[in-house]
Amino acid sequence: MLMKLKHAALAVGVAGLVASLAFPASAQDAGWDSVVAAAKKEGKVVVYSMALGAPYYLAVLKSFEAKYGIKVESLDLRASELAERVRTEQAAGRFLGDAEIITTTMIEEQRKTGDYIQALGAIPNVKNLRAPFKATEFSVPAYVQPMGILINTKLVKPEDEPKSWEDLNDPKWKGKILSDDMRPLGSGNTMFAILQKKLGAAFNEKLAEQKPVFSRDMRNDARRVARGEYPIYVPQVFAFASDLKGLPVKVVIPKEGAVYAMMEFAMLKNAAHPNAARLLIDHFLEQDSQLLYANGWMLPVVEGVADRANDDAKAFANAKLMGPALLEERPAMMELAKKLYQ
Amino acid sequence: MTSLSSQQIERPALAPSSRLQGLRDGKLPRRLAVAALVLLLGFLSLYPLSMLLYGSLHTTPPGIPGSFDLSGYSQVLTWPTAVLFANTVGISLLKTIISLALAVLFGWIIARTNTPARGALEVLITLPFFVPPILTAMAWGMLGNPQVGVINLAWRWITGSDDALVNVYSYGGVVWHMLQYSTPFLFLFVVEAFRAMDPALEEASRMCGASQWRTFRGVTFALMMPAVVTAFLLSFIRGLENFESPLFFGTPAKIEVITTAIYNSIHHQSIANYQFATALSFAIMALMFLLVLWQWRLLRGKSFQTVTGKGYSPRLIDLGRWRWLTFALCVAFFVISVVLPIGQLILGSFFQFFGFYQWDMLTLEHYRSVLGNSEVWRAFRNTFMLGLVGASTTMLLGAIVAYISTRTRWAGRQVLDVLAWLPWMMPGMVLAVGFLWGFAFLPSAISIYGTIWALLIAYVALGTPIAVRVMSAAYRQLSFDLEECSRVHGATWWQTLWRIMIALAWPSFAVGWVLTFFGIMRELSASVLLYSVGSEVLSVVLLRMWENGQAETVSVIGLMMMLLVFVFRWVQLRLIKRYISTL
Repeated sequence: MLMKLKHAALAVGVAGLVASLAFPASAQDAGWDSVVAAAKKEGKVVVYSMALGAPYYLAVLKSFEAKYGIKVESLDLRASELAERVRTEQAAGRFLGDAEIITTTMIEEQRKTGDYIQALGAIPNVKNLRAPFKATEFSVPAYVQPMGILINTKLVKPEDEPKSWEDLNDPKWKGKILSDDMRPLGSGNTMFAILQKKLGAAFNEKLAEQKPVFSRDMRNDARRVARGEYPIYVPQVFAFASDLKGLPVKVVIPKEGAVYAMMEFAMLKNAAHPNAARLLIDHFLEQDSQLLYANGWMLPVVEGVADRANDDAKAFANAKLMGPALLEERPAMMELAKKLYQ
Repeated sequence: MTSLSSQQIERPALAPSSRLQGLRDGKLPRRLAVAALVLLLGFLSLYPLSMLLYGSLHTTPPGIPGSFDLSGYSQVLTWPTAVLFANTVGISLLKTIISLALAVLFGWIIARTNTPARGALEVLITLPFFVPPILTAMAWGMLGNPQVGVINLAWRWITGSDDALVNVYSYGGVVWHMLQYSTPFLFLFVVEAFRAMDPALEEASRMCGASQWRTFRGVTFALMMPAVVTAFLLSFIRGLENFESPLFFGTPAKIEVITTAIYNSIHHQSIANYQFATALSFAIMALMFLLVLWQWRLLRGKSFQTVTGKGYSPRLIDLGRWRWLTFALCVAFFVISVVLPIGQLILGSFFQFFGFYQWDMLTLEHYRSVLGNSEVWRAFRNTFMLGLVGASTTMLLGAIVAYISTRTRWAGRQVLDVLAWLPWMMPGMVLAVGFLWGFAFLPSAISIYGTIWALLIAYVALGTPIAVRVMSAAYRQLSFDLEECSRVHGATWWQTLWRIMIALAWPSFAVGWVLTFFGIMRELSASVLLYSVGSEVLSVVLLRMWENGQAETVSVIGLMMMLLVFVFRWVQLRLIKRYISTL
């Protein structure tokens, strides 16, 4: 009897496996349909974002609302404020947010320091991710923010244009480089950490001898370069230069590759609208959504988008990447930058 | 045994009668009122501060397992932090002394002399205070950068020199940018104190043979001590807490102050170091508390009453030909601190990009995008409502607390005064975290967190110190004879309050209201942590726009806010003129 039951169970199991192999898509579709239905029933999704109202981000949210009729409430915060708000709400048992869109390292940090995010489950469009981007149990890549070198085309002759990061250490640029502060956490330190790892310690030591001038206002700094205060600015977020068309500036993608920050989606623990959150994440990985980012000079994370980008955006959407900066190396990199730039 | 029991029996019999007695002579209602105020101010200031104190003593923020230790404070007691303190105090002291000198000069010129166009100058001098600092920082960066700053280009063109005349990215630049805000702020305080001055005292000094300068020093300035000392303290404390000026102009020159260190430890560390940030803030708070004690000691036992029962009309000093010099001084300040930076903002708002003044870049697009942006209008409505309700509530609370602490001998009045100071002593970006923690960890039945009430409460807490200071300085100048006279002639307490105290302190109330209202309009640290979808305020929308590279659009909103200041100040000055003579 027992043997019969075992055989029966085995037969059902094998049949199930065969069935799932034979009809995987339809089975998943059926499952995803129920997620879509549940999401529509939930009616809204609350996202915590670092995008601070970026037009491409708002455009994706708008297309999601139009497609599914689900309202998106986006709470825009700066990185540290977002992290603290999530931490405080979760600790206090006030589960107001459903999803967050933040850097990979912040998600790693959340996983390391507390229990703030939950497993995402299957997201159909994850299959479209292009190498080297991968989803994990808790996060899904959303977009990449690459950074390069900004030059003032009136102050830098075409033959003098830096082609690589190493060119920044040419003596002629001594005292003429404006940079995001490399000592605190931020884009400046991300660049410092990646270049330290990829180009070696000597690179950063030489760069420090160039006496770059530090600033803390990335948006205004690009304009300062455009006005001619400095000929060079690093690191220039490609997307931030996309709205400076008409000014005498040019973004150089260094031949070694662009340093970058990776933005990912995660679902917050005890989210009130988990299905709507998953649906939104899936929507972000649609080609059309990613194309909005690519046209904003960001790097898309799914296949078949970069080559569809506008002509002026194509080079940035296809940029070679160099990185990433790792969470575990951060404190040492900040300490080193402080030492070099006392 | 019998006697013991009789005592026990007698005690409850006495209690109601003493309570009744207390009720009859007004002690019990007073105590209840003071207790209610202590509770209210305690919630507004002590509660968020207690959360921060926990943060400074605990290895992790509230809600995360950790242990208590003093590592935050031991990080504060180091040589680099001492250098930070010295830097911060030096910068703040320098800018406070210069701006106080300017404010007293301008206050005297506007309120006490026959300088031409005083009414217009009074409004114009105060304008920089109401412009978001990030905008003036950008404007001064364009004007005073050593490479291609407009001032330096003009200097090189005129003199043929290769050197720069000014460099805003320096200590001087940091102090200069702070002066832009502290001079009008102090001026607003000082000008009302000059107006509430009985000229008979000065005339008596002059008749005794004192020179104009000695009279100013020995009588005029001495009688304004409450207002001047209060303004000095507020401005010095604000200088210690100033963030934008050292961030924008100090970073390139490697100048670090306490607030940039706090900012780094909260916003730019691998893991936010709240323990150090809060411990450092409490260290500043201790320093500020010493300053407040110094103020109390300085003003204790002295009378500064200039508004008495004796009628007087503010007499203007005839400066003769010198009035054109005073006029020129005011105009010079207006040109340097307003026309130059604001002119850049106005000019830039009509071009596609700031600093690129080409015909093909002329546009009205920035105005169109602001006027057609529903998010801006929603934020404007929210901020305006919060500003109206918040400023009115704050000033009402401030007027009551100031009245009790300066005009009564009620028990507990000093506690009220201390509680009302506290939010001013904690750097804004740290106190904002205290509000976040405080509201989030309230019992779940109290749903303040995530609602517009959280913003309103935070704004009232942040505005109360200034409301109390403004009203205290005003009350201190009013003679007790006025109230006694009113009561002797049969007026009730309420009539006296309305017809004497409120009527005479109304101009200061109005100044405090405007300061609080625009403080709310500009507040960002608490707003960004406490706002929720639907309750976005203007500062949050401005931050979003700035971070999206819409500096020109931000300027348009900044200019609209300045227009609002014009309207408010005009209405305020007209109301003061009308009601002062009728109340």
